[in-house]
Amino acid sequence: MDDFEQELKVGFLDEALQSATEVETCFLELEKDPNGDENINRIFRHVHNLKGSARAVGFEEFADFTHQFENFILKVKSKEIKPTSVVVSILLKGNDQIVLMINELKSDMNARFEFRQLLEEMKNYNETSPASEHIIEELSNKFSNENKAQDELSPEEMLALYEQQEAEKAAEHNNFVQPVELAPAPVTTAATSAVSNSSPANKQVSEETLRVGLTKIETLINSIGEMVILQGVLRELVVDAENLFLKKTVHQLRKVGKEIQDISMSLRMVAIKPTFQKMQRIVRDTSQSLSKEIQLEMIGEETEIDKTVLEKINDPLVHLIRNAVDHGVETTEKRIAAGKSPAGHIKLSAQNLAGKMVIEIKDDGGGMDPERLKKKAIEKGLIKPNNTLTDKEALNLIFAPGFSTKELVTDVSGRGVGMDVVRTNISELGGEIIIESAVGKGSTFRIILPLTLAIVDAMVVTYTSNKFVIPLSQMLETLSPTKDMVQKNTDLGETLMLRGQNLPLIRMGDFFGLKSSTPTEGMIALVISAGQSTVALLVDDILGQYEVVVKQLSPELESIKGISGTTILGDGKPALIIDPIELIKRKTTAGYNPSTIKLDTTKNDKKDNQKMGSAA
Amino acid sequence: MSGPVKYICFGLGQEEFGIPLLTVKEVLAIPDITPVPQTPPHFLGIINLRGNVISIMDLRAKFGIKFSTTEETTVIILDFGDYQLGVVVDRVDAVLSLNPDQISNKPHIESSKSTDYISGVYRQEQKLILILDIAKALSVEDRNMATRKAADKAA
Repeated sequence: MDDFEQELKVGFLDEALQSATEVETCFLELEKDPNGDENINRIFRHVHNLKGSARAVGFEEFADFTHQFENFILKVKSKEIKPTSVVVSILLKGNDQIVLMINELKSDMNARFEFRQLLEEMKNYNETSPASEHIIEELSNKFSNENKAQDELSPEEMLALYEQQEAEKAAEHNNFVQPVELAPAPVTTAATSAVSNSSPANKQVSEETLRVGLTKIETLINSIGEMVILQGVLRELVVDAENLFLKKTVHQLRKVGKEIQDISMSLRMVAIKPTFQKMQRIVRDTSQSLSKEIQLEMIGEETEIDKTVLEKINDPLVHLIRNAVDHGVETTEKRIAAGKSPAGHIKLSAQNLAGKMVIEIKDDGGGMDPERLKKKAIEKGLIKPNNTLTDKEALNLIFAPGFSTKELVTDVSGRGVGMDVVRTNISELGGEIIIESAVGKGSTFRIILPLTLAIVDAMVVTYTSNKFVIPLSQMLETLSPTKDMVQKNTDLGETLMLRGQNLPLIRMGDFFGLKSSTPTEGMIALVISAGQSTVALLVDDILGQYEVVVKQLSPELESIKGISGTTILGDGKPALIIDPIELIKRKTTAGYNPSTIKLDTTKNDKKDNQKMGSAA
Repeated sequence: MSGPVKYICFGLGQEEFGIPLLTVKEVLAIPDITPVPQTPPHFLGIINLRGNVISIMDLRAKFGIKFSTTEETTVIILDFGDYQLGVVVDRVDAVLSLNPDQISNKPHIESSKSTDYISGVYRQEQKLILILDIAKALSVEDRNMATRKAADKAA
């Protein structure tokens, strides 16, 4: 295979995958609104384009499948088959098959496929199958005589007609896949967004786009970061310079540099839409398998977030959405008994707020009862019976390892690995998760994430002669401890009394084998919230607060615990970025048991890890 | 494989070593090195190489060779494809073009020291140049070292 052919194939697969992901909403919309021609038309266009392109680049099997699939879609399009949920399931399976083939072909261009069974299912599907008969009758009553002209055409005739229309359009846009639209959609529900996107090329003038590899962008961002550092050095150098013109130039260069850096950062930002669309599918499949009726409302799909953050937030979101469907929303009977509408409602929203991404998953289900959670936690030995947890703290119990409130372990959720992993994943991203819940009214999970992982707000501190960088996200406050705040105790070590709370006092150097000669009173305490505990970390001095560009750890440094990355400081020297939570974990696993830890996680950690291991 | 391969030759103390030139990205004078706590003594720290953070190992300390830092002391940046690593050597001597048949197998010596990372020997007049498998010499052992050290501390 020559390079050109290879390139064509790779290009096709990339675009095909994007198209397949985008079109998935249409299948789901089709189910909700069987009369809407827009959706089936869009699905048809998608599959038809794939068929043509696949044949053109030489993926014969792929083309064969899409050809058969197209025929089935044509039957739906011509209203020969009504889009019942059974039909939509087959359609979705068809799209899944397409995605599967794309992924297989990506790793092996000569991959072979087996899809006869699915094709049989499509071929053998007929209106008289007993499951769908009733629905069809009902639906056909609803159907008016709209699109009569098209109804009367045979599939072959329609195909001919369609191809003719396409040929006319081809002059306008010769892309083989429907152009990708990043329309700045207003705050819309899923239903309206799908309709407004149905034929975007005709309605909106799209900005031309260019595909660029992620490594290229990363190299660019790296170089720009370096340039900004050099500019900093230059700025220091011209402070004493007498040449005014030189000073002015350096000053302007800095402004331009800042602008370039902002633009380069925005290159990594992508809309959260594809991830949200996946959630739609998950809600559909999950609610169907649980025979619950659930409406998913999505808001703010166009909100942009760093690509790496987006990738890492996917799993926690899937988990929370499944939980909302499974545990959150009650069964239809229960809902009716409680005087609620039979269909549950889940709202998934995203928005930018003060430089952070806020994602909310809100259900109108049964809510969580703090008392029940406490009882459960006592049963599991996670807390003591004489605890004094507030309701809010009780809700946070669901994040404790090995805590699952539902007795019944279902296929859908409740394998006991759940929420602690969700919380860990989110805090690894430098984010947090907040729960609000009212019994009988529903629960809200609010995830607050940084927009990017590439830059963090951090404090540069010194310990002995070493500089370290600590992200601000987990830092609550900083203070210089006075003599009467510090207490020495042989059992607990040093503690810091802060507004009535005893915080364990840890010298940062203890983790790194560095000895500082400064007395405790002369040091600075950083109050850090590490999961369920709060500790005071002692450093020699704070040099300042900066935005630092995070660089990945190279493999030989990855295994050092408590270090999350490296960065290059203003003086051009590299420094280590500390992950205070990991750092403190190391201390606590060493049998250290700070008095402020309310949940005795140290004891349960090991047990639960084993449990998780055997369940997985 | 046939045809000559280029090797960069460097000295550690009195001894001479060679590594394939293709693994070398560049050669630098000793830059500012930021130490990293909790690493073995031969792990000197990290440097900023035009915006990339790269770890620096001291091959002399690693091989247990006595050393002194002079003007000739140099860092060789190695490129292993997925990551880069710098090694400190006493001096860089030459680039040699060697045919495979010029390199003989290493002599078999009963020793407690592992010599796995020596892939061959080249005799140049009175000198013996050890050809190193530098990836083997550095990656495996060092990654383990860092891990073990961290684990020790945690326990």
